[in-house]
Amino acid sequence: MTFRGKAGIYAIAVLLRLVLFFAFPGLPDLLTGRVEISTPVTSFKRLEEGLFLYNHNVWPYDGGVYHQAPLLLPLFSLLPDSKSWPIFTPLLYILIDLLSADALVKIAASGEAGKSRLFTSPRRGKGSTGLVIAAAFLFNPLTIASCVGRTTSVFTNCAILYAIAKAVQGFSFHAMVALSFASYLSMYPVLLLPPLVLLAYDRRASQKTSVLKFSAVNVLVVAGCLSVLLGMSYALTGNSWEFLARTYGIQLTLTDLTPTVGLWWYFFIEMFDSFRSFFLALFWLHLASYVGGLSIRLRTQPLAALAVLLGIFSIFKPYPSISDASLFLGLFSLYTHLLPLMRYTYVASATLMYASFLGPAFYHLWIYAGSGNANFFYAITLVWSLGQSLLVSDLTFAVLRDEWEVERPEMVGKEAKQI
Amino acid sequence: MAPPPSGPTQEDTASSAAASESPAPAAPAIKAPPPETPTAIRRRSYIVLSFWLLVVFLGLPFWWKTTTIYRADLPLDRMLEWADGKACRPAIPIQIAVHADSLQEEEANHLVRLAQHAIDDLNDFSGHHLRLQLAPRQDRPRESEQNPNSALSIHLKPGDATTAALDPYRAALDITYPLNSVPPLHSASSMLTTYIATELRSTFAEEQSIVSYLLSSSPTSKPAGLSPAVVEALEKRATRALRYAPTYHLTFSLFTDGPAPTTWDIDTAINEYMKPLLDVLGPIHNFTIDTQVQLYATPGVQSQTLTKDDLASFINAAEWPLSPSIGGAPTINFLTFIGNQTIGFPDSEGQTSQSWMIPQWGTVYLLSQPDTNSHVTKDALRQPMLTFGGHLLTLLGTPQSGSLPLRLSSLSRIRSADLLLRASDALGSLARLSRSLPSIAIPRNVADGVAKSIRHLEEACAGLGSSEALYHARIAEEEAERAFFEKSMVGQLYFPDEHKIAVYLPLLGPVTVPLVMGAIKEIKRLLQARKQRAQEAKDKKSQ
Amino acid sequence: MLFPIRLLAVLATSLFLPLASAEHTNNWAVLVGTSRFWFNYRHLSNVLSMYRTVKRLGIPDSQIILMLPDDMACNPRNAFPGTVYSNSNRAMDLYGDNIEVDYRGYEVTVENFIRLLTDRVGDEMPRSKRLLTDDKSNILIYMTGHGGNEFLKFQDAEEIGAWDLADAFQQMWEKKRYHEILFMIDTCQANTMFSRLYSPNIIATGSSELDQSSYSHHADNDVGVAVIDRYTYYNLEFLENQVKDLSSQKTVGDLFDSYDISKIHSNPGMRYDLFPGGADVARSRLITDFFGNIQNVEVDQKENGALEEELLELGRTIAMLRQKEADELNQYNNATSVPASQPTEPVKHIRGATALTEDNWWTKKVVGATALAGCVGLWALGSFLET
Repeated sequence: MTFRGKAGIYAIAVLLRLVLFFAFPGLPDLLTGRVEISTPVTSFKRLEEGLFLYNHNVWPYDGGVYHQAPLLLPLFSLLPDSKSWPIFTPLLYILIDLLSADALVKIAASGEAGKSRLFTSPRRGKGSTGLVIAAAFLFNPLTIASCVGRTTSVFTNCAILYAIAKAVQGFSFHAMVALSFASYLSMYPVLLLPPLVLLAYDRRASQKTSVLKFSAVNVLVVAGCLSVLLGMSYALTGNSWEFLARTYGIQLTLTDLTPTVGLWWYFFIEMFDSFRSFFLALFWLHLASYVGGLSIRLRTQPLAALAVLLGIFSIFKPYPSISDASLFLGLFSLYTHLLPLMRYTYVASATLMYASFLGPAFYHLWIYAGSGNANFFYAITLVWSLGQSLLVSDLTFAVLRDEWEVERPEMVGKEAKQI
Repeated sequence: MAPPPSGPTQEDTASSAAASESPAPAAPAIKAPPPETPTAIRRRSYIVLSFWLLVVFLGLPFWWKTTTIYRADLPLDRMLEWADGKACRPAIPIQIAVHADSLQEEEANHLVRLAQHAIDDLNDFSGHHLRLQLAPRQDRPRESEQNPNSALSIHLKPGDATTAALDPYRAALDITYPLNSVPPLHSASSMLTTYIATELRSTFAEEQSIVSYLLSSSPTSKPAGLSPAVVEALEKRATRALRYAPTYHLTFSLFTDGPAPTTWDIDTAINEYMKPLLDVLGPIHNFTIDTQVQLYATPGVQSQTLTKDDLASFINAAEWPLSPSIGGAPTINFLTFIGNQTIGFPDSEGQTSQSWMIPQWGTVYLLSQPDTNSHVTKDALRQPMLTFGGHLLTLLGTPQSGSLPLRLSSLSRIRSADLLLRASDALGSLARLSRSLPSIAIPRNVADGVAKSIRHLEEACAGLGSSEALYHARIAEEEAERAFFEKSMVGQLYFPDEHKIAVYLPLLGPVTVPLVMGAIKEIKRLLQARKQRAQEAKDKKSQ
Repeated sequence: MLFPIRLLAVLATSLFLPLASAEHTNNWAVLVGTSRFWFNYRHLSNVLSMYRTVKRLGIPDSQIILMLPDDMACNPRNAFPGTVYSNSNRAMDLYGDNIEVDYRGYEVTVENFIRLLTDRVGDEMPRSKRLLTDDKSNILIYMTGHGGNEFLKFQDAEEIGAWDLADAFQQMWEKKRYHEILFMIDTCQANTMFSRLYSPNIIATGSSELDQSSYSHHADNDVGVAVIDRYTYYNLEFLENQVKDLSSQKTVGDLFDSYDISKIHSNPGMRYDLFPGGADVARSRLITDFFGNIQNVEVDQKENGALEEELLELGRTIAMLRQKEADELNQYNNATSVPASQPTEPVKHIRGATALTEDNWWTKKVVGATALAGCVGLWALGSFLET
């Protein structure tokens, strides 16, 4: 990968985004309003509302619109007024995208996807270069849409990618700080802690300290960082912990039932009230239950565990959007060398395409045309989730098959049957 | 019992379970799958364990916590005691201060004692008894402040004959007596004391019958022997009076079937004729007032002479805006209709009337006025307003006899007894409800409300007849009602078990199967391994 | 004895009405349609016909709770916009000029219905949407929609079960919210809906037995759908022809006897066992006890002089009261002048309305910079520690 190649790709990506931002003035706002891109906890519109209240000395969570982390407000208030200086917000989002791509390049450069401390894939040479991976991420329509739609989940994504990149580089402290940022912004990334610690441990220069001690230190680091961030938020929101209920509480209790591409909203619209809290707990447990199993099963390849987990989260978290899918696809592209081992790539990609085109159409039929009902859109989100879960399970299968082939070289290339 | 929560949902169960729990895809079916390596086996145990730990330590507690119905502890027995009248025997003592400044101290005391005996002999109902008390002497009895707890004061004055008159301005009974009728110190009875007793009894007769009627409609108290005519009258009072509410909304409406009048001096009229009445009612009720003028309002009945049957449908309920839905207070309507209709009485010629009262609703007054007059003056409103005032008292359930101050003080006593019973009743309803519907959730504030209600009930019961009783009874009733009508105590209570299966199974079934199967396999393997080890140990020993 | 004399004098001021058998003092009607969509036109016209009938018999709108889940009059498929007819002769527009729908569209839910019956509503609920009955109220409850064995569907989404209905009635009874109820339901397998009731003083009737459908009466070819159900149709026929006004002496028994299975095409059911006195007493209740409004007004009928005098006296008293107002108030104030409605719950601290200001613009920037610096510092700390 040459520097020039990288710079070229970045330049084209920046240009493309600038064109989208400024040649089509209606586009950013259109995308910001789409439920596929903006969820109640990441929407830029809601952020602007919160920002307005904050700038006018009103408690930003009044009005029940803004549900995002409090620290975003002072950071965004640093930017010049978006009405008179519309350039800065797009620039910030573009920068974040570039940083994410850069993190991906670093992860790819480390070769962790093909060769970890405990496992070396026989196919490691066949993967894509960092340049291709960065390009795949930057030119992914989902990434572009979430950038132009200015959802705040891109900050979370960037933080997660940086956490992984730093862990891969062996900077465990940095990784933990980045993960704390991500968790602070969106809460769910805290579930990535176990595989990330394992990854950081594996990538350290020496494994003199035991895993347990290393994990304990890192957990403490994350806890410390989070308490600093939460403390700052506490001071910022007028010395009250109320913001916890208005940010993380919303995610935990799913009080806002705005449709998303996920599975929760419809389910909890239909759920009997008396079972609502039970199923909320169940859904969250379900989300958390993968962490342990996958970390153990994919102990040899923590990066793969992270990728699979991110895929699962983008399907099952309470307020998923296409930006979560773009993060998963970014990590997925690190594993292109396993593509031959995957069985349903065609079906999965077709399903995803199908859902991405029909989703907006069905949403329109439901909300605007009135000729469909909520089931239309929900059906399409089911298809979307199905496509993603096919991809996730296929990736898992491929990773495991790759491992298995090392164990049993005689089976390479043969059809295997699951039992 | 529901399967425990946790684990992946339906669609990816297959993949993740397959991926994580049977890591080695097997060789073609003909061959037996190759033996697993020990590390793989250990890994699999860990994975199964990690899922089960989550299920047992998080899933089950969550399931327990989120699906149990919260039922706050209610003092059911205590509540039922109140409802059955066991907790409190309502008795209203009525303090009567006797001012007999013209008599000697001993003479006065003796007179009071004798009168008290006479009253006790007359009284047959224990829930309501009069207590005479000699008021401390004062030099200026007329100006003296009354003891706030005494319901009536008697002013004894020497005069020519034995007469009694209720002071229309205060709760006071003026009795004059000939000097010779004062009982001598050692006499056992006298005309005067009997006279006082009878007079007092008749003054409080209506209140007493109302109270005894109230108490008799509660379950335990024995019905006092009231004559059918009196019972009928009391029933009538009960149907006429509005239900107690802390606040009433008074709507004064001017309706006219033509274009005039368009204005009226309602503000001054209310201030002049209504306000004083409302002020004295202040301790018992709050009032809010609004007024309206409606032109071209067609009454429900068009005829010139209204018969009694017409009166009920005179109110054009469909078109007249008479039931403002703003606010939670019940509305009392006072309607002045400008028109020249008359009310005809077929049976008695010559009688006329301008107004009629609709029980629990309000009053209609027909005011005739020249068409050209576009303004209704204060003086024209005098008669309607006074009628409304009188009817307002009736609608609030004020006793009909006696002087106004006495009627009002009796109203406050009757209302406190009434509220006490209502509150007890509401508590009883809530207690029975919570027994009969075991699946209804009872939030904590219901229990708090009940506790508060009982506390105030006790105070009200102890202080019945005094002025605080109304205050406590009011809070007790309000809290009991609020507890019963707790908004969150609604839901589909009937949730049969097959419905629960339908809720749990579709989601949890697919999750549970691999979990349970995994656990069974693991346990089997462990047992086998132990057996094997035992076997090996035995073999070793035997070698 | 002074007391009876005084009391009688008081009673003489008002005209006595025959109390008759009516122990209730007010009448309420709860009329519920539970189905949506154009092809259920007939359910809405069922309800509206009932609404017209009870209104005709004098129950004011304020005492009728009308629940209509859909608006057929404004349905685009309605060939006669703004109208609803229950007969193909289209003689009577049920929608008419004044119709007061209390719950409409998606407000018609099981929860709202149960809340209505049990009065477990929030403070925000206007009085016009509440069933403000007491122990002297007779209630007519009429329901129609699509039902099955022990349930009645609401809208397309949910259903009320016979048990829930029975529990709601029991709660009403416990709180003395009715005197007597006539429960009438027109749906498939309607009789199963009242099979679970267990509260006293209820007469129940339904259109069809278990495993029996209820049928529509006839369709209007121009409207394009059936306009009324059979059971309701024959009920209305009886009410229109036999109960002309409030003086009608027709009884509930007469109504039930008028049911003709060959016309209704299903077996209507009745339930008297909850009624004290059983079938005989229940059947002897007048139709107007439930479908009509009780009327008792009290005319101020007195010799003019007496009335004048009393009012003058009251006027004098009031004038006096005005003088002594302050005194009197002081006297009562000692203990009782606590406002009647006290806020009993601890008031949760709510941030009041704040004027929008941009005062400390610079502070915001500084805070922002500090926050940014904090985050960067955290990051830098990492770099410092790890290099």
